[in-house]
Amino acid sequence: MTFNSLAYVLFLPLVFLAFQTAADRYRWLVLLIASYAFYGFMLQPSLLLILAFVTAFSYLMGKYIDRETNNGTRKKQLLFSVLVNLAILVYCKYLLFVVENLNGLLDIFSPETSIPLPKPMVSIALSFFVFQAISYLADIYFGITGSEPHLGRFALFMSFFPKLLQGPIERAGSMLPQLMRPYRFDYDGIRKGLLLFGWGLFLKTVVADRLAFFVDPVYNNVQAYAGIPLIIATYAYAFQLYFDFAGYTNMALGSARLFGINLTQNFNSPYLATSCADFWRRWHISFSRWILDYIFQPLQMKWRNLGINGTALALFVTFLLSGIWHGASWNFVIWGVLHGIFMAASAYYKPYKKKIHKKFRIDNSRWVSIWQVAVTFHLVCFTYIFFRASTIEDSWHIVTNLTQFNENYKYIHDSGIRLFIKENIIMGQYMLDLLTTISVLAVTLIVYKNRTVSLFEKPTWFRWTCYYAILVIILSLQVTTKTNFIYLQF
Amino acid sequence: MKKPPILERMTDVFRDVLDNETVALTRETTANDIEEWDSLSHITIIVAIEKEFNIRFNLADLKPLRNIGEFEDLIALKTGSQD
Repeated sequence: MTFNSLAYVLFLPLVFLAFQTAADRYRWLVLLIASYAFYGFMLQPSLLLILAFVTAFSYLMGKYIDRETNNGTRKKQLLFSVLVNLAILVYCKYLLFVVENLNGLLDIFSPETSIPLPKPMVSIALSFFVFQAISYLADIYFGITGSEPHLGRFALFMSFFPKLLQGPIERAGSMLPQLMRPYRFDYDGIRKGLLLFGWGLFLKTVVADRLAFFVDPVYNNVQAYAGIPLIIATYAYAFQLYFDFAGYTNMALGSARLFGINLTQNFNSPYLATSCADFWRRWHISFSRWILDYIFQPLQMKWRNLGINGTALALFVTFLLSGIWHGASWNFVIWGVLHGIFMAASAYYKPYKKKIHKKFRIDNSRWVSIWQVAVTFHLVCFTYIFFRASTIEDSWHIVTNLTQFNENYKYIHDSGIRLFIKENIIMGQYMLDLLTTISVLAVTLIVYKNRTVSLFEKPTWFRWTCYYAILVIILSLQVTTKTNFIYLQF
Repeated sequence: MKKPPILERMTDVFRDVLDNETVALTRETTANDIEEWDSLSHITIIVAIEKEFNIRFNLADLKPLRNIGEFEDLIALKTGSQD
C-alpha cells in the first residue's frame, strides 16, 4: 500500500480511530499491528519475516552490546550484528547483480560454465529498515543511546508505517523517546499533519507525476533523441524526483503527526545549494547524515594521518557506497562515483575557496552565490542522467548527444524534436495543465513561505479557501495513471 | 609562558577550521549553534584539536559528547597535567 493509493486513504483514518479509542498503554500495539498490516499489503510474506527477524535480532544484539563491559567484546558484537544485517541486505538486493556480473567475468575465461541466476527478489523498504537497525546498534555501541527494553516499542520504531517504505531513516535517540511518552491529543499538530499530508499528495500527484510526461517518453526511448529534448527531459527529471520524494516525505511526516510523532525533515530546498557538500546537507537529509556519520566519519578518522588525501578518499568511498545503496546496477555506481568525485574535489578546493574569493573581491557578491547555485544544480542534473537512464548505453548516448543542437537543422529535425512533440501528442493539454499547476504552485508557495504556522494564524475563510483549493486541484489536476513513488525501488 | 585556557585554544581551532572568525564557544555550545559544524566538518575539527593539544581520540570517546563543555573536559582529561 502506498500513500497515493485509495487503500491508504481508507487505512489511515481507520488506524487513527483505533489509535484514539485505544487505552494509552495499548496505543503502541495498535500502531505496530497497523504497521505490519501496512507492510503485509505489499503481498510479500518473506519481507514481513525479514522485518521481524531484523527487529528481533537487532533488539537482542542491542541488549548484549549495552550490557557488555569489555570493549573488545562490544566491538565484536557490533561488527557481528552489522555484518548479519548487511548480509541480509546483500542477499535480498544484490545477489542477482553479483551473480550476473560474475557470469560476465566467467564468460571471458570459460564460456561454458555459468552460475544459475537466483530469482529476483522484491526488497521494498529493506534498505531503509536495515540502515535504521545499524544506526541503532552503532548508537548503543558509541554510548549515544541505551538499548530499548521494550520489544514491542522497538518493533514499532523499526516498522512505524509512515516511515517504513522510504524513510526518513530515524535515529533511536529522536524517535524512541517519542514512542515512550504518553499520548496527548494535540488538535494543532493533527491539523498541521493533515495539511502536510495534503500538500505532499499535491506535490506527488499533480506536480511530480505531470513532470513525468516530459521525462518518460525520452528516457524510455533514449536512442531516438538528441540535444534539446534530452536537456528538457533531464531538467524535468530533476524536479520530478524532488517533488516525488519531497511529496512522499511530507505525506510521511503528516501521517506520523496524526499519532503525535515528529519525524525527521528530509529536505531543505536542495536545488538552492551552493556546493555539492551543501546539496547533501539539504537533500535526503536523514540518509546523508547516516552515510556521513556511520561511513564517512569512521573512515576519515582512520585515514586522518593522510591529511586531505584521507578526507578526499573517505568522501569518495562514502558516496560510492551511497550509489550502491540506491540499487544493484552500474548506473547507480556511476552516479555515486560522480558525487564521490565532486565531494573529493571540493575537499581539495575548500582551503583555497575563500582566499580566491577574497583575492578577486567577490567574497560577498550576490552573483557568486547565484553562479554557485547554478553550477551545483547542473552538476547534480548531470549525475541524474545516470540515475534515471535504464542502461549504461542509454546514459552514454545522452551524455554524448546532449549538445547536438549545433548540428544542421535536418539532423535535429530527424532525431528529436518532432518525435518529442509527437510522443507528447496531447502536449498542448499538458502544457495548459502545467501552466495552471505552476501558477497555483507559485501562489501556494507564497502562502506557504513562512511555513504552515502562518497559514493557521490566518482567518478561517482564508484557511478553508486554501484547503479547498488544494483539494480541488488534487482532484481535478491529478495524474490518474497509477504511479509509484520513485524512491520505493531503493 | 602559561598557555591560554583550553576553551580559548579550542575556539581558535574552530575558527581556523571553519574559516569563520565569529565562532564563539561556551561550555553550552552544541553543533546546532554553529552552522558550519556538521557531519562533514566534524572530524576535521577533531583532528585539528588533536594536533593542537597533541592528543589522540577514539571515535568511541567522541560520539557521546553532547556539548563543548563535555569536549573540553575530555581534552583536560587526555592532556592530564598540562593545565
